[in-house]
Amino acid sequence: CGSAALVEDALYAQQQLVCAACGCVLAEGLLTTTYSEEEHLREVAYSQSTGQKEQQSRCLQRGIRRVQDLCKVLQLPAVFEETAVSYFQRALQLPAFHLVSLEKKELLGGCCVFVTCRQHNWPLTMGTVCSLLYAKQELFAGVFLSLQKELGLSVPALSLADLVKTHLSSFRLFQPSPGVPAPFLEDKEKLVARTMGLVELASETWLVTGRHPLPVVTAAAFLAWQSLQPRARLSCPLARFCRVAGVDLPPPAHLRLRELLEILLGMASQLAWLRGFHLDKKTVVKHVGDLLQHRVFLLKNAFCQAGEELQGQDSLGQGSPSSPPMAQEKGCPLAGKCPRPLLPPCLIHPRKRLRSAAPSAPDPPVTGDEPISDSEIEQYLRSPEEIRSFRKAKAWS
Amino acid sequence: FKDDFSTSPHLFTPMSPYDVELPSRTTEDVFGSQFNQPEELHPDFSSVDLSFLPDVTQDNKERGLCEDSHETPEECDVSVQRNEDSGVFTDESSSSNPDATQPSPETPGVSPHLSPMTPVTPASSASESSGIVPQLQNIVSTVNLACKLDLKNIALHARNAEYNPKASLEEFAAVIMRIREPRTTALIFSSGKMVCTGAKSEEQSRLAARKYARVVQKLGFPAKFLDFKIQNMVGSCDVRFPIRLEGLVLTHQQFSSYEPELFPGLIYRMVKPRIVLLIFVSGKVVLTG
Repeated sequence: CGSAALVEDALYAQQQLVCAACGCVLAEGLLTTTYSEEEHLREVAYSQSTGQKEQQSRCLQRGIRRVQDLCKVLQLPAVFEETAVSYFQRALQLPAFHLVSLEKKELLGGCCVFVTCRQHNWPLTMGTVCSLLYAKQELFAGVFLSLQKELGLSVPALSLADLVKTHLSSFRLFQPSPGVPAPFLEDKEKLVARTMGLVELASETWLVTGRHPLPVVTAAAFLAWQSLQPRARLSCPLARFCRVAGVDLPPPAHLRLRELLEILLGMASQLAWLRGFHLDKKTVVKHVGDLLQHRVFLLKNAFCQAGEELQGQDSLGQGSPSSPPMAQEKGCPLAGKCPRPLLPPCLIHPRKRLRSAAPSAPDPPVTGDEPISDSEIEQYLRSPEEIRSFRKAKAWS
Repeated sequence: FKDDFSTSPHLFTPMSPYDVELPSRTTEDVFGSQFNQPEELHPDFSSVDLSFLPDVTQDNKERGLCEDSHETPEECDVSVQRNEDSGVFTDESSSSNPDATQPSPETPGVSPHLSPMTPVTPASSASESSGIVPQLQNIVSTVNLACKLDLKNIALHARNAEYNPKASLEEFAAVIMRIREPRTTALIFSSGKMVCTGAKSEEQSRLAARKYARVVQKLGFPAKFLDFKIQNMVGSCDVRFPIRLEGLVLTHQQFSSYEPELFPGLIYRMVKPRIVLLIFVSGKVVLTG
């Protein structure tokens, strides 16, 4: 539009030059510069070059700006920005990061923000940071672990409770809006409380350890939402729920949902006033409130607490390797009625064939100095005919 | 488990360098290694006196510390002191340093290169404590054949070799060779250096490396067998109970990294002995480094 009102704006932490009058984006990203590598006729993608020839201050300044933009996009408190910037400055001076590619340096900025958030128990997930940086998660993981090691940072664990609150805030179920039918609307406090209860239950029953946290929260939120108005909502599948609520459906959420329902069904079998009913995955949802309320009692009676029993009896301390690991042999309190032990799903449904535990001792034991026969070596060498036909088949230069 | 260090020296007399806790800070320069050796952690344990623990790490040898010297602040075995009952790693944390029961006070300056290799069966001091003996799964070793090699020539004349310099993304300039017994894979570089992986014991790795060297010799190169060195050993075991990784990361924060978004296991960087453990919720543990 010809207006001179140009503003530097950061969209998703990427610098853009935008016209304040008409909103047109004039310039996006950073300008490329030539390096001596290009003088040597070797093409170096800008993001792969190290910025080594740049003045340290310019590279640093750009990185700091990026960190600040990230903090603004995430709407973090001001003190987070200071901490993240100081981590970034410290890290960039270390040899481990000074010479990495610019792509990695951008990830480094994101890592500093991520670490800062975690240290303040601000529930930011790696997935969110990676999507903001358009980063590959493996690359981000590598930079994060290096940063943790080089700066000696202790990164507290992600608080599931905080993650529940934050993630549920992004669900569009609490205010009436055109895309959300009336039966979907729910009271936020009630949904958060019940989701929290289900997530805690999942955590106690080994469904959370070693798994991505977000799918667990999503599955728990769905179950909680269904259970608050089961009549109207039981027919709604998980996928539709996420679509209406405006959140992503992470693929493992279906599996987490199935596992949670299995736990709930087990617990329901111990609830006195439900024993007469034959519950299934749908109908058990109606009783989630009761099940959560009495979950301590129900868990103890519904499942063999294999792990906890072992630790309590300190059987390892006696150093008896023959002590059986499964509580079933120790006299389960349900006297043979327990549906399954309370174990991580990977132990209940082992995917690998369990090999015999006996170590395969080489017989006779190898010394490493055994004589090596010529014939054994010659089996690995090609015969002259083979070499001739190979030469004909392939063009060996 | 008896934390009885006073009796342990009598249990075990080292006979060969392999009995000693083998240092392996060299995983960084070995292809395929994924877990870097942790550098010095500098926790503040200056008030803890761990002088009763034997020093058998490479670092101490290099610094010329004698065996019964006092622990430096960096080389502390916190896993023994921090025997907090997280409900998860009660006795395991004490038995996590098997070298405490396999000291070698007589061989402070042992260097890792070896001459006659006597077969080693470490005294079952580890199994006495917990009944769990890690099984070796992989050994990585290197050797210098000390002659320049024509990789294309080797790939043409050997049946068990692959060489495709432009194929892989990493522009990997090595011949990949395999033998059936011991079942291993070797990476052979034009400089004459070779990496041997896949063996289940140190002796097997050495035997395999010798066989590869013989193949290269038979192909007409003056291959020697210099500086054979075990670079890394990977073992696995099963503690046979589920582990609350989220609890473990809280009680052993300085050594643990548990990021379920990245990897389902907890990465435990043990200081003494300096190894990295991957601990999984199922109770399976991988030990490397």
